[in-house]
Amino acid sequence: MSPWLDFVLFSILAATAVGVVILRNLFAVVMLGAVFSLVTAALFVVMDAPDVAFTEAAVGAGITTVLLLGALTLTTRHERPGSSGIAIPLAVSLITGAVLVYGSLDLPRFGSPDAPIHLHLAPEFLVGREPEIDIPNIVTAILASYRGFDTLGEVIVVFTAGIGVLLLIGRHHVGRRNRVEDAADDKGEAPDSPAQSPPEST
Amino acid sequence: MFLVAAVALLIAMALALIRLFIGPSLYDRVLAVNVFGTKTVLLIGVVGFLTGRPDWLDISLLYALINFIGTLAILKFFRYRRLGDRPPSEQRP
Amino acid sequence: MIGTAADIASWLFIVSGSAGIVISALGLLRLPDFYTRLHAGGVTDTFGAELLIIGLAIQSGVSLITAKLLIIGLFLFFTGPTATHATANAAWVAGLKPRLAERPDERPDGDNP
Repeated sequence: MSPWLDFVLFSILAATAVGVVILRNLFAVVMLGAVFSLVTAALFVVMDAPDVAFTEAAVGAGITTVLLLGALTLTTRHERPGSSGIAIPLAVSLITGAVLVYGSLDLPRFGSPDAPIHLHLAPEFLVGREPEIDIPNIVTAILASYRGFDTLGEVIVVFTAGIGVLLLIGRHHVGRRNRVEDAADDKGEAPDSPAQSPPEST
Repeated sequence: MFLVAAVALLIAMALALIRLFIGPSLYDRVLAVNVFGTKTVLLIGVVGFLTGRPDWLDISLLYALINFIGTLAILKFFRYRRLGDRPPSEQRP
Repeated sequence: MIGTAADIASWLFIVSGSAGIVISALGLLRLPDFYTRLHAGGVTDTFGAELLIIGLAIQSGVSLITAKLLIIGLFLFFTGPTATHATANAAWVAGLKPRLAERPDERPDGDNP
């Protein structure tokens, strides 16, 4: 059961990532980002880490989507097409990827019990958890107790991002530039069609 | 039995994703995200039953709440073009 | 696990709920206009989800799991139609018009009374 479920979820994740790169409409990209976070949360649930899934669902699909939408008030709706070619970036990405894959061939197999990472600290966490900390789930115990300062740092980062965006968009309301174009784009027509309904009134 | 439900949910998620890619208008995409969120809520519950640990329903409940509020936030944003309250010095646009 | 009658009943609910969910997603993809897709994505989706949740609740007997499932079901029951209505309202206010049938004496993009 588990391998094909992982396979399907990962392929949905890959399709979403390809969509984020290809699509030019920035609002669609923001919503694809929300879908990406959702699928990642489902993957975390399948991998038996419920608290990480909680965090991913709440932060990624809820807050980050709304923050990105707020950031989009300051800019236009469509991404402008890039001006330089893609040959050099493609070559650099392929070479870097090949070097990384070559380097990863030496790593021990995923989850093998005699990998070095499982021999030094992990038994200490697994065995010493119950008398010391008494949290039933091992992932939660590592996140919240053994590596608690990491979690504190992440909370600080998300909080700072939220305050930054609120300061940017809350103070002075920057006027939208291409209102008529964006109103047409909302309804799926071409941006320069002659028959426009009047802009919505608030 | 739960396998049938899980397969059906994964098929529905893939179809909603296709609608998210090709939806011509913005509201098509908002609808697709809402449907995808409901399917994820159900998928987490069904996978919990499949692996014999149905305690993951808390995550489903959390995500059902966030999905609803997120959809309404996106729609409100598109209607009023801003996220916060109107500052007192600004007139009606 | 519990009893044969409960097993059969939960099988029935889960299979019909899954069928409803797949039909709703197919409708979301294939129907021609946005307002018709709202029907597929909103109504059928909520109904299929409710059937699936009732099937899962029957499967797990009387326990805390059933209480949580019923809470999720109640929440989906209220917020599914509300989100659909909000989407339709926002699309209407922004000016997205439904695609009506052509009549020989009217414009295609109809004055909708």
